Amino acid sequence: MIGQLEQLLGQLDTLRVRAIEELEPINTSAGLEDWDTRYLGRNRGELKSLSSVMPKLSKEERPIVGQKINAVKSELERRLNEKREELKQRELLLALEQERIDVTLPGRMLPAGTMHPLSRTIQEITDIFVRMGFSVLQGLEVETDYHNFQALNIPTDHPARDMQDTFWVSPGEVLLRTQTSPMQIRTMEQLQPPVRVVVPGKVYRNEDVDATHEAMFHQIEGLLIDEVCTMADLKGCLERFVHELFGPERRLRFRGSYFPFTEPSAEVDISCGLCDGKGCRSCKYSGWLEVLGSGMVHPNVLRNVGYDPKKYRGFAFGVGVERIAMLKYGIGEIRLFSGNDLRFLRQL
Amino acid sequence: MRVPLSWLKEYVEITQSPEELAHTLTMAGLEVEAIEYIGKSWGDKIITAQIDHLEKVEGSDHLNYTKINTGSGQINVICGAPNIQLGDKVPLALPGAQVGDITISETRKFGYVSQGMLCSPRELGMGNDHSGIYILEPETKLGQPLMDLLGEIVLDFSIKAHRGDLSSIIGIAREVAALTKQPLRLPEPRFQEQGTPASDLVKVSVEDSELCPRYTARVLSNIQVGPSPAWMARRLLAAGLRPISNVVDITNYVLLEFGQPLHSFDYDLVPDHHIIVRRAHAGEEMKTLDDVKRKLTPEMLVIADPTGPTAIAGVMGGARSEVSDKTTTVLLESANFKGGSVRRTSSTLGLRTDASSHFEKGLDPELALAGTNRAVQLLTELAGGLAHPGVVDHYPNPVQPRVLDFSTDDVEWLTSMKVTQSEASDALNALNFTVAAAEDGKRMQVTVPTYRTDVTQEADLVEEVIRLIGYEHIPSTIPDGPLPEQTIDRWFEREQQIRNLLIGAGLNEIVTYTLISRTRMVKLLAQTDLASASVLLRAPNRSAAQEEARIQASNTSTATTSFDPHTLPAVALVNPLTADQEVLRLTLMSNLLEIIQENSKHNKSGLRFFEVGRRYLPAETKSQLPDERRTAAFALCGPAENTWLPELARPADFYDLKGVVEALLSGLKIRRYRFTPTQHPTFHPGRCALLELAYENESGDEAFSPIGVLGEVHPLVQQRYDLPHRAYLCELDLEHLYAAVPQQINYQPISRHQELTRDLALVVDQRIAAQDIQDTIVRHAGKLLHSIALFDVYTGDPIPAGKKNLTYTLVYQAQDRTLKDTEANELQERIIRLLNEDFGAVLR
Ligand SMILES: [Zn+2]
Repeated sequence: MIGQLEQLLGQLDTLRVRAIEELEPINTSAGLEDWDTRYLGRNRGELKSLSSVMPKLSKEERPIVGQKINAVKSELERRLNEKREELKQRELLLALEQERIDVTLPGRMLPAGTMHPLSRTIQEITDIFVRMGFSVLQGLEVETDYHNFQALNIPTDHPARDMQDTFWVSPGEVLLRTQTSPMQIRTMEQLQPPVRVVVPGKVYRNEDVDATHEAMFHQIEGLLIDEVCTMADLKGCLERFVHELFGPERRLRFRGSYFPFTEPSAEVDISCGLCDGKGCRSCKYSGWLEVLGSGMVHPNVLRNVGYDPKKYRGFAFGVGVERIAMLKYGIGEIRLFSGNDLRFLRQL
Repeated sequence: MRVPLSWLKEYVEITQSPEELAHTLTMAGLEVEAIEYIGKSWGDKIITAQIDHLEKVEGSDHLNYTKINTGSGQINVICGAPNIQLGDKVPLALPGAQVGDITISETRKFGYVSQGMLCSPRELGMGNDHSGIYILEPETKLGQPLMDLLGEIVLDFSIKAHRGDLSSIIGIAREVAALTKQPLRLPEPRFQEQGTPASDLVKVSVEDSELCPRYTARVLSNIQVGPSPAWMARRLLAAGLRPISNVVDITNYVLLEFGQPLHSFDYDLVPDHHIIVRRAHAGEEMKTLDDVKRKLTPEMLVIADPTGPTAIAGVMGGARSEVSDKTTTVLLESANFKGGSVRRTSSTLGLRTDASSHFEKGLDPELALAGTNRAVQLLTELAGGLAHPGVVDHYPNPVQPRVLDFSTDDVEWLTSMKVTQSEASDALNALNFTVAAAEDGKRMQVTVPTYRTDVTQEADLVEEVIRLIGYEHIPSTIPDGPLPEQTIDRWFEREQQIRNLLIGAGLNEIVTYTLISRTRMVKLLAQTDLASASVLLRAPNRSAAQEEARIQASNTSTATTSFDPHTLPAVALVNPLTADQEVLRLTLMSNLLEIIQENSKHNKSGLRFFEVGRRYLPAETKSQLPDERRTAAFALCGPAENTWLPELARPADFYDLKGVVEALLSGLKIRRYRFTPTQHPTFHPGRCALLELAYENESGDEAFSPIGVLGEVHPLVQQRYDLPHRAYLCELDLEHLYAAVPQQINYQPISRHQELTRDLALVVDQRIAAQDIQDTIVRHAGKLLHSIALFDVYTGDPIPAGKKNLTYTLVYQAQDRTLKDTEANELQERIIRLLNEDFGAVLR
């Protein structure tokens, strides 16, 4: 009977080896289920058939065989589960592979719009002054002779009128403002000191258009009036403005100038960013770039709006927005701003 | 103003290099725009030479063959200038010389070899004269570099409008002297006088001393009119003037030197030798030196003789008394005319001259005498003149120097700069102001030189002091005064908000000219008739009838409906730069379509633009200010992006445009609005809507008012702009838009009770507006309706022809309880019944 036991154990070994060999190459769920039925099937599985001889074994032999069967069974079940898991993952991978797309194709972008470089520049400049306590106002573009000229100390026959060729709607009465300065008058007519305002807007000059001149362009006017306010404050404000806009390494230079509505007046230059003040083509070899005009509000202007020049003083300045944007972005042609070419707008 | 440095040096020592001098002057407010180096490029290639031989070139009507003596040899030159003569000394450019843009080289013409070129003043970079070769003085040494003879450095100044006194070489010399601490050397004219006194030879009557504060006359006989000496011609050329004859050149020379305009009359051509300074009579005419007949008005001041006007005061002389080669006796005028009057006269006549631009800035009457004496000296020295004794001088009210009360505190008040008494008075003294200490020892009495007509108050003196001391000494501080209250005007940030919302919707901002032509705007109208044109003037605060009445009033055509574009009411310019920019725009839409048209030449996609700007609606009269309406406009044309993705490559349609409007409204939290079909001459009649915002009328009910229009551009209009796709356009009035933006938004708690969702699929007639269906649902569902969404619009099988299927999802929810199914079902049934009654809608 011993021979029978050994034969049985040998059969179990053979079965185990064969089952493992057959399991190895299976790569479909169906094949795996076939294998499962053939070897581990509850009714007609080969392991089941072998264990059917158990009752014929002696009491001593049974546990030996039983142990062996259990060992083989649990090994095969373990391998089956591993294989199942492996197959599941492979099939998922296969399914996902089917869904592969070309990630290099362009995305579904709704292109963002762009802010016009002039609007952006105006925003940047006004932001700087707002941080210094200024409010932003807007004015009228069609103005009276009084606000654009007379109240600003430019009477009818004043030669300074020639500095600004005027578009007239009604000669001597109504005009397109040549500067944002009439808002100095309108602001002071409405408010009592202290006053801190900046006024961006369109201005008009009846001048021939070329690479640096447009008949319509943009300015920002600044005005500060208080009981204590001097040219030193003007200098400080403008230094902060230039440093924030162009960078702290830029130097400023104040020099004598003339505007009918300021006294003393000052022209402000900044050091050329291309050559760091050494002189190059873009600064006409001077090392400096003209950026704005400024000065202390003329006593006559203060009187015109009913402020007492013995009590109040203040400064005013005017910045050309196109000029600033051209310097900031390195634009050499002013007409690009009104041209509105997408190839230009999208760059800035 | 061009100032030759050698000339300037006659009056003041110049210790700095031209660049340093330019910097010093510029910093003090006298801006040097350019430094020109005449002769810098000549090197040793342009030399002095003499014409030794001159003959006509055979076969040419103007060329001469010359042999030129270079001092060390002889070369052949072909020259076409008409003015050269045998023996003339001339500038010769040798091969290799740089003349303007060309490099001289040996050439061959008509069988002759030409080994150089003779140069005109213009070719040498000395002004604009190109009428002939520059003839040098007979005593010129041959073969020397021309630079040694004619080289010059010219400073080009930009003179500010208020400083008439700086429009002269002496004026600039005064500034240089003050700024570089050098003494000033003024010319002191000396000359002999002889013969009959001037007062016996000429009578001067000034009838208008207001416009002519001073008039001086001198008489010189024995004048020999001829060319000026070379040194004077050279200086005039370098300063930008063309030499003409000694008499004319001397008046120009003195004008440049002193800034005093002079005029010389031919004494024998002034009847009765009687000068009358008066206003012109109405209807008077005279011919000026430039041979143009000028119509005069009583506004203008003229110099007349008993027979009529013979010069326009301060502007230009007359042809009748002009100095010519035959002139032997000269009546020399040196006068002072009021700037404003000269300015008006010259602008009325459209005639600006060197004289008029000097007078306009306001001249010192004291200058008249100095100027005339200098001219007399030069006329006696250079034109053989005999000066008759004395000056006839009409000067009833001699100008009194202004005295200002001043203190160093004034400097500190405006600049925070502390200066001492002596610093201030040194600065002022350097500029020829006289300073006397007042008795309190603190304030000063400052006497202003009469030529400084611009200095009238303390602030002006502050500027003089600080520009002498230097602006760089002003300290720098941040204003630390009290912060003002914030203002009133929110429009800047509102416009930025609109910009940001539209940029978020994928639109590109443009900034265009607000100046446009009526024709360009009328292009927007599919049909050019009265009613269509009136739409351009429409604004939410005007009635259509008002606009039509206005157009009617300006319309000259007899037919009531036809319309002449040139009569379109608009804010028109009296002096437009071009016919294309004659008025301010009534709409932003023209610019948008033009920009799309322009961009479509280079871009196949992304033609999506907006502008935030103003429309300018004319007031009743030209002297009233127009209504500047803050406006936003935007347009879409074609695909958003040129891409492989069909949904983005799809050309824009009406609903894309409407989506932008809705995004804008949602960004502004405006929730109560509607779109109503409308007709508009710019748009497709079936694809155009008004945007209407809700407001509460007087009786507290909800009413709607239009704030803008949107739609598909009419095919006829689209064609005119040559647009590549159908275009969609919208224009909104921002002031009315913002009136509807809620001031205060109150949070509504999010309900924790369950929502009930019901779908509603309706079949209605095609022509029924979805908006009406939705309004009805919302109205009847009441507060329990939490949201409604239209999620399907369908036509075609099995929906019968002429019908459409609309499917909505309705979400019901209560704030305070869980809604019962039966409640929702009842509401749903009620809505269906009402929709059936109102619109014949049936459930699908
Ligand atoms: Zn530079």
